[in-house]
Amino acid sequence: MAARPLAAVRRYFGRWGLIVALAALPIYYGISDLTNGYQAGFVAGHAVIHHDLSKLGFNFAEGLSNGAIWALIAIGYTLVYGIIELINFAHGDVFMIGSFTAVGLWGTLGLGLTTGALGLIGGLIVALIITMIVTGSLNVLIERVAYRPLRGAPKLASLITAVGFSFILQNVGLLWRGGSPQSVNDLIRAQQPVFTIAGVPILRGYILAFAVMIPLVFGLTWFINATRAGRAMRATAQDPEAARLMGINVNATISLTFLLGGMLAGAAGLVYALYETNVWYFQGFKAGLIAFTAAVMGGIGNVRGAVLGGLIIGVIQSLSDSRLGPQWTEAVVFGYLIAIMVLRPRGLLGEETREAG
Amino acid sequence: MSELRAQLQEWRSAVDNWLPPWWRRALVALLIVVGIVLPLLFSSASGFMNATIIAVAYAVMSLGLNIVVGFAGLLDLGYVAFYALGAYSLGWFGSGFFFKAHIHVLVSPVASTLPGVHLNFILILIGAGLICAAAGVVIGLPTLRLRGDYIAIVTLAFGEIIGVVAVNGQSVHVGDGMTLTAGNLGISAVDQPYFPGIGSFNLLNLRPWYWLIFAILLVVLFVNLRLRDSRLGRAWVALREDEVAAVSMGIPLVKTKLLAYAIGAAFGGMSGAFFGTYYTEVNAGQFQFGFSIFILAMVIIGGLGSIWGAVVGGLALGYINNYLIPDVLNGIPAKLGFNFQLTEVEFGIFGFLLVIMMVLRPQGLIPERRRRLELTAEIAPADAQLAEAPGTPGDGT
Amino acid sequence: MNPTETPAPPAPPVVSVLRAEHVTKTFGGLVAVNDISFDIPQHSIVSLIGPNGAGKTTLFNMLTGLYRPTEGRILLGERDITRARPDVITKHGVARTFQNIRLFGAMTAVENVMVGHHARMRAGLFGSIFRPPWVRREERETREHARELLAYVGLREPVFDRLAAQLPYGDQRRVEIARALASQPRLLLLDEPTAGMNPHESQALTEFMQTLRDELKLTILLIEHDMKVVMGVSERVTVLDYGKKIAEGEPAVVRADPGVIEAYLGRQE
Repeated sequence: MAARPLAAVRRYFGRWGLIVALAALPIYYGISDLTNGYQAGFVAGHAVIHHDLSKLGFNFAEGLSNGAIWALIAIGYTLVYGIIELINFAHGDVFMIGSFTAVGLWGTLGLGLTTGALGLIGGLIVALIITMIVTGSLNVLIERVAYRPLRGAPKLASLITAVGFSFILQNVGLLWRGGSPQSVNDLIRAQQPVFTIAGVPILRGYILAFAVMIPLVFGLTWFINATRAGRAMRATAQDPEAARLMGINVNATISLTFLLGGMLAGAAGLVYALYETNVWYFQGFKAGLIAFTAAVMGGIGNVRGAVLGGLIIGVIQSLSDSRLGPQWTEAVVFGYLIAIMVLRPRGLLGEETREAG
Repeated sequence: MSELRAQLQEWRSAVDNWLPPWWRRALVALLIVVGIVLPLLFSSASGFMNATIIAVAYAVMSLGLNIVVGFAGLLDLGYVAFYALGAYSLGWFGSGFFFKAHIHVLVSPVASTLPGVHLNFILILIGAGLICAAAGVVIGLPTLRLRGDYIAIVTLAFGEIIGVVAVNGQSVHVGDGMTLTAGNLGISAVDQPYFPGIGSFNLLNLRPWYWLIFAILLVVLFVNLRLRDSRLGRAWVALREDEVAAVSMGIPLVKTKLLAYAIGAAFGGMSGAFFGTYYTEVNAGQFQFGFSIFILAMVIIGGLGSIWGAVVGGLALGYINNYLIPDVLNGIPAKLGFNFQLTEVEFGIFGFLLVIMMVLRPQGLIPERRRRLELTAEIAPADAQLAEAPGTPGDGT
Repeated sequence: MNPTETPAPPAPPVVSVLRAEHVTKTFGGLVAVNDISFDIPQHSIVSLIGPNGAGKTTLFNMLTGLYRPTEGRILLGERDITRARPDVITKHGVARTFQNIRLFGAMTAVENVMVGHHARMRAGLFGSIFRPPWVRREERETREHARELLAYVGLREPVFDRLAAQLPYGDQRRVEIARALASQPRLLLLDEPTAGMNPHESQALTEFMQTLRDELKLTILLIEHDMKVVMGVSERVTVLDYGKKIAEGEPAVVRADPGVIEAYLGRQE
């Protein structure tokens, strides 16, 4: 039957197969750029064809930066799934609320296009902190209302309440800023190149994304590994009952997990608003699916995996956007998601996951 | 609380004993008669009839998804894919979209002169069912070995992919200047249903539309009821309850699960084809993820796995979405001093309903038999002392 | 159909219902079942015993197709079922019960047993929808057969249509056996059937197993911890420890085997 050859394919696919499948796209396009060249512009009515890797380099630069944003959101998914084995469907919309909150704070703090550099940086840091607190608390609230009462119930019930919350949050966004994408001030002039590496312009937005992501990821990883609360998180993720018997307050630990995930999503929201310079009530749904794909690709439950997955997905998106056309990118990302789920559900860095039955 | 429940049970059994044994069948027959007569009580173009037609079509969809999620326990979050494929079946085979073709089967005299593929609506209905059944198998195949929430994500991803294909299909050429879909512009000027002797439907007279979808509902309902109490229905419930035990009893896993996907999808497709012709156009904007959740909510609010629950859920949400909120209650926020209309918070209301339902009454309005029996069965005194956990001495016969 | 490894015995030829040859199962680094070969003679009752964790249920799961052996072969009669799917193995005449009762809670006792009969029924999709006379007859007969089986295993009639989840423990065990019998097996695998029973009930079950063997011509393989049952009912006992077979033979012989004693006593303290 169909399941048998599939299992064989899956066995031989392994981690290297996944890596090959992921590397195939950039390698293919890299070779194609070098040999056939790509159109880099128009001069005097003629297309300018380059035969170098700078377009690919651009794909990587843009992809990794977008990916940094997805990584921050993906960490939230992976932490929650690791600890209570649930997909927090509303997480993407928490990210969206983060963007909206950040933009609102800019107005409140008086940050505008004419604000001086020092004031801008200071203001953004304040905005970042406040946004993270707001989204962190929102995530904790969702856990208390949507997940905790249903902890004994079948998983379907929690999934449904999560979706319900997702819809509520989207409606909040809809009422807040309307149904169309809304332009916001380009506070840091995100598209301005700072320097160039091998022909690839490195934009301010790229640096911003990494400047926020790297410290947060390091901070989180330190927290999980070095502190008592972090140890409690790891223990609860491995075996909640044993953790409870060891005296760990499992409820508080779960809330903490949601808090941290929510905070990172808020940070991602602020970065997104600065980088994309527009916000949309629907951005959370899209981002959520992309970030979840990233979390799965990296290995659900694994923070490093979520970061790796986010970066990879970002690059895939950029490649798809510039080579196949942005209208197909969603389908490409979801195609990858389906392939991973079927062929290697544990992702790149994850452990063996329990399959049906 | 439990006293209240006990009191309700008492009343329920009292009523049950007082009614003749055939009361359930009589009730169903009565409902069918009411259903047939209903349009005659309203004007032939009333807004209420419009909402009813849509609600009945939703009930058909709900019955389809109930087979997948309710009977077989496969969490499908991409059901919109079958709505889309059903609607496109109509758009492809019941309009002038494929303008290079000239195929006409049992269509109205007017339609038989038009270019394109024009098949009789019943043929399209069957075709939509078959196409969606095949699609259901394709979508279900990768999910066979996955656990519950992963099935949800994979089916969701498929639903999104179908949406992307629907939008981009306007640039996918299928030969001779024709494209796969018309994207967001939509395939318009689709045929209305035509029956020799009755003529073509038109939107000024909603009654034939209603009777058509009502007939489809009755057929789908009949199939559901038959399947539930059959070898296949039992196999689905067994797989849902305990996959390992089920296969150990001789139930073929792959075939049984794929059948659930296929049949559930087929019903969704049939309803989709009806929507396509009723809405007079098929455009990609109609197929969003929110729709999948909408249908899922119908199944869950009605009662997961319960056939009548799915019907009630479909009708209820259909009415709320297409009549209650836009026509009846829309102005209420304005009256309360808010400057938005109720339709703008439809999404949020809907989400709120989902949350409330799961927290307060997860078994739904009309629970599947199991849950109902659990609530009403009385354990005989002789057994009462025997109902205990494994590991302790049993009943000593 | 003689076993090919042993020379022709003077007694009438013994038919093997099932034979396992050098079966091994590893999970990652753990060897759960280590090179086990044994066979089950027709119309016999064979017990599989051993301390907890010896690999008995793993072996069962391989015999029923839930696990695939890492090495080795399993033959049902002359058919190689090593890589066969569980439902196919059931169709060829192997049925089982589970250590922790796995009934379908949302269905009644009768329906549970009817599911057991699934592999012997022929109604497909269209048969289920249109219900031609032969399907209606098949349903009726399956339902009657299920009720007979429930009575046969000793369930009282009033609870036939009770949801399985609401039945007392002892009745649930009975339903599970009836469900296994419904597939008309040649070989019945019972995983700790007397767990949770008092001596009186265990005795009743022991006699029942002998009835099954004699009346229904079944072959039975059981995993058991209750030594009285094992000694009382088995024609042969196979002992596992740490995944290996350490003894096999008649109950009295095995009981006195020093290796077996050590395996049990050595673990108890």
